[in-house]
Amino acid sequence: MESENKNLSPEQSLDLIASMIRQTQGNVSSGSFYFLLWGWVITLCNFGMYILAKFYSPSNAAFIWTLTIPAWIITMIYASRQDKTRSITTHLDKISMWLWIALGITILPSWIFGSVIDWRVNALVLMPVGMATFVSGIIIRFKPLLFGGITFWIAGTLCFIVSPLDQYLIGGVAMIFGYLLPGYMLRSKK
Amino acid sequence: MLKELDPLLHSQLRLGVMSILMSVESAEFTFLKEKTNSTAGNLSVQLDKLSEAGYITIEKSFNGKKPLTTCRINRKGMKAFEDYVNALKDYIKK
Repeated sequence: MESENKNLSPEQSLDLIASMIRQTQGNVSSGSFYFLLWGWVITLCNFGMYILAKFYSPSNAAFIWTLTIPAWIITMIYASRQDKTRSITTHLDKISMWLWIALGITILPSWIFGSVIDWRVNALVLMPVGMATFVSGIIIRFKPLLFGGITFWIAGTLCFIVSPLDQYLIGGVAMIFGYLLPGYMLRSKK
Repeated sequence: MLKELDPLLHSQLRLGVMSILMSVESAEFTFLKEKTNSTAGNLSVQLDKLSEAGYITIEKSFNGKKPLTTCRINRKGMKAFEDYVNALKDYIKK
């Protein structure tokens, strides 16, 4: 595309516009890293919480959730590095980024004020996580994430009817099917 | 009477760049160079023209020691692009 002022016919102009737009399609980035990182961290926290609360000290078990703090730091560093190396950011990339930031904002009060409701926050967390996972599956056109989202919705609903302790088992299993399996499938797809 | 086509957009390379920037949030100089199959010098000159017209914003930064040039379309550029496409449609209908 060297000539700056090549005389374009209207048809050529429209063809050029269409061909350039095609060049940008299929460029939505798919972040298996985040699903694997958070999948492992939250799975460990859920099962760890269950084991500690059931067999050791229920009052101190919640400290295992401090594992999410380094996960947040790693997420921010990784996202910042990815942002710098990416040659293109699509509108869907931006929507995807804000979807996950919005999820963080949605579930943050559950973590801050969880003690008010005796830490029975699993359903409140799993339902929006299901929504974000499902929508991510739509954005990157990846069916395992759709099933992952549905898994979180089912798990979140179950959490309303099981005991507070069993909710952590459900949460851990939901993470395996909702984040880890789709995450590994996404990574192997690359 | 047919509208005159925007001369700033009615050029192969600039139209190519604007078409890409219309469909993404932002794009690196290297991406634009590769997709438009242009030379760095020519692309740089055309980007400056689009920037001077207020159609695009060019941000310069660094990734480590490597310079990065990121381009994104402005509202004025979007409006100009839409007007250009509408004018093209009129020409084709003629």
